Formats: sequence, structure tokens, C-alpha cells
Amino acid sequence: MKRLILRRREEAVRGGQPLAFFAGLVFALIMGAVLLTISGDPVFDTYQRMWDRSFGTADTLSATFNRAVPLALAGLAVSIAATMGLWNIGAEGQIMFGATAATLVGRVGADWPSPILIVAMLIGAALGGALWALGPGLAKAEIGVSEIITTLMLNEVAVRLIVYLQTGPWKDPDGFGFPQITAKPEGSQLGIIWERSHLGVLVALAVIAGFAWFVNRSVWGYELRIAGASAKTAAFAGISMRKKVLGVLVLSGAVAGFAGGIELTGTAARLNENISNGFGFAGIIVAALALMRPSGVALVAVFFGAVQVGGQSIQTLGVSPAVAGILQALILFGAIGAAVLSTYQLAFIERKVVTT
Amino acid sequence: MINQLAALDISEAAFLGLIVATIQFATLLYLAALGEAIAERSGVLNLGVEGMMAVGAVSGYIGAVSTGSPWLGLLIGAFGGACAAGVHAVIAVGLGADQVVSGLALTILGLGMANFIGDSYTDDPRRSQFAEVDIPVLSDIAWIGETVFSATPVTYLAALLGVATWFVMNRTALGLGVRAVGESASTADAAGHSVVGTRAGAVLVGGAFAGLSGAYLTTTAIVGAWSEGLTAGRGWIAVALVIFGAWRAGRVATGAVLFGFTLALQTRLQPFGVDFSPILLSMLPYILTVIVLIVISIRARHQPSPAPAGLGIAYRREER
Repeated sequence: MKRLILRRREEAVRGGQPLAFFAGLVFALIMGAVLLTISGDPVFDTYQRMWDRSFGTADTLSATFNRAVPLALAGLAVSIAATMGLWNIGAEGQIMFGATAATLVGRVGADWPSPILIVAMLIGAALGGALWALGPGLAKAEIGVSEIITTLMLNEVAVRLIVYLQTGPWKDPDGFGFPQITAKPEGSQLGIIWERSHLGVLVALAVIAGFAWFVNRSVWGYELRIAGASAKTAAFAGISMRKKVLGVLVLSGAVAGFAGGIELTGTAARLNENISNGFGFAGIIVAALALMRPSGVALVAVFFGAVQVGGQSIQTLGVSPAVAGILQALILFGAIGAAVLSTYQLAFIERKVVTT
Repeated sequence: MINQLAALDISEAAFLGLIVATIQFATLLYLAALGEAIAERSGVLNLGVEGMMAVGAVSGYIGAVSTGSPWLGLLIGAFGGACAAGVHAVIAVGLGADQVVSGLALTILGLGMANFIGDSYTDDPRRSQFAEVDIPVLSDIAWIGETVFSATPVTYLAALLGVATWFVMNRTALGLGVRAVGESASTADAAGHSVVGTRAGAVLVGGAFAGLSGAYLTTTAIVGAWSEGLTAGRGWIAVALVIFGAWRAGRVATGAVLFGFTLALQTRLQPFGVDFSPILLSMLPYILTVIVLIVISIRARHQPSPAPAGLGIAYRREER
């Protein structure tokens, strides 16, 4: 009897991850076309519209960049945790709590000078995100509790906290009874640098570049990578795993929280429960596609930003905007398949008959 | 909590309503959590529950209204959930990709597919729903009878599946194989068990259960029709519930009733005149799960953890 197995290739296919990403993209577009055809939607028009409204003009490209910012920062947060082999599934909640903390700063300092207010809000956002990751970090470092589930659970707590704030304590008195939080103060809007792109695009790029340097060139980053690769080696080198685990999760949370601050000061009018809009989860996919490398995270985030922005525009064609989510997931699945097939090959082997 | 409630002047109807809602939420959570527990016992973490539930909900609805039979709807919902789980089976089990990434992507894919398929069924007035069925004799018991024993058939099905899962997992060779693969894939492989086959099977069954859970929403009066976002994060509670219930069918059932009760309180608190934000209360299941995880980990220093030892670890034979 024959059976199908994966056999490691003697030499991996050249091109690696960029090729796998491209293969994933093609796979997603083909599968998307099949879906659209089945549901009777125009395939070419849909893709044309998505392209026009994401990369087509300077105006739409600048909107794509804005959307890429939270995706890239969330992806960076995930990749920072991944240097230690940890999964931060809580970027979603850290973004939300970061934005909540920034809103708190904004409420206190509504009449501060604009630059001071914005900087204070962004610092507040980073601290908020760090605080949201502190619990899972401590639990992982001190008792060994899986960070996957604790960070995941806190997402659900964060979203409910925002809903609570908007129906109660922070409810807009001028909202005609509608449950919404008071709009952010006027001075808290990030400046526009190009078309619709706000300053957050540059800030995000700087943060990503900073972390790329930090992880690859600093002593702390070097120790991180050692600790991530082998706990035993780290112990021999006198590196404290506990401190590293805690530090890396808190740092990861701070970056995600910072993303929430940028989102609030850059694009949102006020804090609401959709402030993160799935960025935390999409960030995990972005980081996975970028193989946890900061530079790759930025590039993939622009693609995902384009898919999301483009996806919003196809509603006017009568096509469900859900296509965007489907494409994002299919890119990942396609890329995983391609990556596996670049190092493994499918082979049929004779099933060995073993008598016990 | 109960004493506090009893001290208030509460009407019987409101209290019965609370029990009914508890049973409904418990059914919903139990079906999904039971499926996730089966997958995790085989060593596969599937964070795609929310997505699989959404696919089950939309396919269950379409199946029920187009055939006119809620039973067929439920079946088609289970099939939809299993199809969604098939993606995880191929990517995370077959190809050995990271289970966390694959599961989360499945949630995004499942929610996207459900919204895409359901787009033309939003606001569809058609209904095809289960009626409540009184269990003879038992339904005559005061309080419990008219709530627990006059539920929809899906609740009884969930209870049956719970018993069946317990039996298969603990009393059959098949269950032993699933647990063996979950504890140590290489050992099970050496003993002649097909790791990929067993894990893929467990993931598919888990997906079918999640699909049932989703279809329960659209084939009963709880929601009764398809609308975007109707799973409302309940899939994440199911993931939490598996840990809370220590991966065991019985304890997961207890957890489902407890978590179901907190969910029910959110919607049924007002009649009791309790002035406490239902939203804050809705954080409870998640916080409880974190606390339980911490307790498990502290106790794990003295006694073995209830988690399957091989949970989350991909298995490729050549890399043994």
C-alpha cells in the first residue's frame, strides 16, 4: 500500500520566504477569484477596484500607509516576543488598552500644547500596552503559565473595558444619549505629512528600524536571541531567562500599546471598541509571513494594509467586504504551503507492514 | 451571589428566565469546547473555534431553511465546521505548520467566509427552528423541569455527545490512541499509531462540534437567523473552557454551566434590580480562566499538569 509523506529536499528551493509570500499572494488571488465567480461577482472589476483604491493613486496609497501602521507595529510586537520563542496573541488587547490609556492622558491634558499632549498620549499608550502585557509576562516568567492563552483572554477583557467606559464613566455628555466616548481633544491629532498619511507612518518606520538595530546589534538583543534559541546555553552564559521573558513580553506589549496610541492620535476621532479592528490578529499573520523580521514586517504590513483598504471599497460594487479577510488568511495558508514545499517534497512510499 | 439575589425581591419568571438562558449558553459553549478538547487531547491547539462556529452558523442556517428541517441544518452546520477545520488539519497537522498561526488565520478565514456566504442571507425572514421538547416525567419537576428538561433537542444532543466523548476517550482503544498521540507523538508513532491521521481526525471532529455550536445559534430561537458577528467572541470562551475544564468532558460541562451562567447574568440581570454593570460581569469568564491557568501551573510543581504533554507541538516523522 502506498502512502503520501513529506520528504526533506536535499537542497531547499532558492528564493525562500519572498517567493513563498508571492506564491501565497497568487494562491489567494486565484482562490478569491474562484469564490467570486461562484457567488456571481465580477472578478476582474473587484480586483481592479481593490488595486485602484489601495495602490492606485497617491491619495489611496497614503491611506494604505496609514492602515499599514498599526499592522506593522502589531507585527513588530509579535516578532519581538517571538525572538524568545513566545507568542503574544494579545496585541489586540494591548492596542485597545494602549488607546484607552492614551485617552485617559488626553482627558487629563486636553488643554496642554499640542506636541506635549501627543507625546504624553503616546507614552501613555506604550505604558498602557506594557501594563496589559505585564500580567501574562509575570505569570510566564515566574510560574510558567502559557502566555498564549493569558494574552488571548486579556483581549476579551480589554474590549469589554472600552464598552464599559463608553456606556458609563467616559460617556460623551454631548452624544445625544448615544453610547460613545467623548471625542479626543483637538490638539491630539497627529500632523499630516503626505496626502492622507499622518506622522505616525514615519514614527512607525523609525520604531521598526530602531528595533531591527536593537535586536540584531545590541547586547540585550544578542542575549535575547541566544535565550530564544536555547535556554540551556543562556543559563551557561549567565543570562536570566526570567528577566528576559518578562522583559520581552512587556516590551512587546508596549509596542502594541504604542500602535493603539498612534491609531487614536492619527486616524480615529475617539476611542471605541473597534479601535483595534483586528490589527492584533492580522499582526500575527503579518509577523509570521515576515518570518519575524522587522524589515519584512513593514513590507508585508503595506500589502495587508492595501488588502484591507481595498476590501472596504468593493462594497459599492455589491461585493462583500469580507473578501479582504479571506484573502489575508489565504495569503498566509498559501505561503505556508509554499514554504513547506520549498524545503520538503511530496513523495509516495511503500507502507511498511509491521507486525506487533 | 445566589444569596444576594435571593435577598432581593425577585419574580419567579425572571429566575426561570435566568436558568433557561444559562442552559442555552451552556449548550452553545459546551459543544464548541468539547470539540476543542478532543482536538487538544490529540495534541493540536486550534484557535480557529470562533471561525469554525461562524461557518457552522451560516451553513446551518442555510441548510435548515432550504431543507425545512432544523435537524438537517444542524448536520450541515457540523459539516461546514468540519470543512473549516480541514484547513487546520492540512496546514497545521499535515504540513506541520505552527498551530497558533494556522488557528488564528483560520479564525480570520472562517469569519470572512461566513460573512461572505451569509451576505445574501442577512435579514432573510425565513426560519427553521427546533421546538422545545419536554422530557416526560422529569419536566414535571418544579423549577428544573420547566427549564433544564424542556430545552431544545440540541441541549440533549450536547449532553449525549459529552457522555459519548467521555466514553470514547476513556474506555476505547480509539480514545487511548488519541490520548497517546497527544501525550507523545513519537512514542505513539513507534507503537504503530498514525499521528497525522489521528490528529487530523480529532481536528475534524472538533470542527464538526464547533459547527454544531454555531448552527445551534441559527436553528433555535436564540438567534434563529444569520447575522454578521453573531458568534460574538464565544469561540474564545470555548478555548478558555477547555483549560478551565482540564481537558475532560465532565469538568468542561461543569465549566460550561458556570460560564453559561455568567453570560446569562449579563442579559438577565436587570429584572433582578441589581445595579452592577453587566459588561464588567462579562469579563469574568476570561479572568477566571487566567486564574485557573495560574493555579494549574502552581500545582503542576507538585503534580502533573492536566494538559496533554504534546499540545501545540507539530510532528514530522523525519525530525523525530
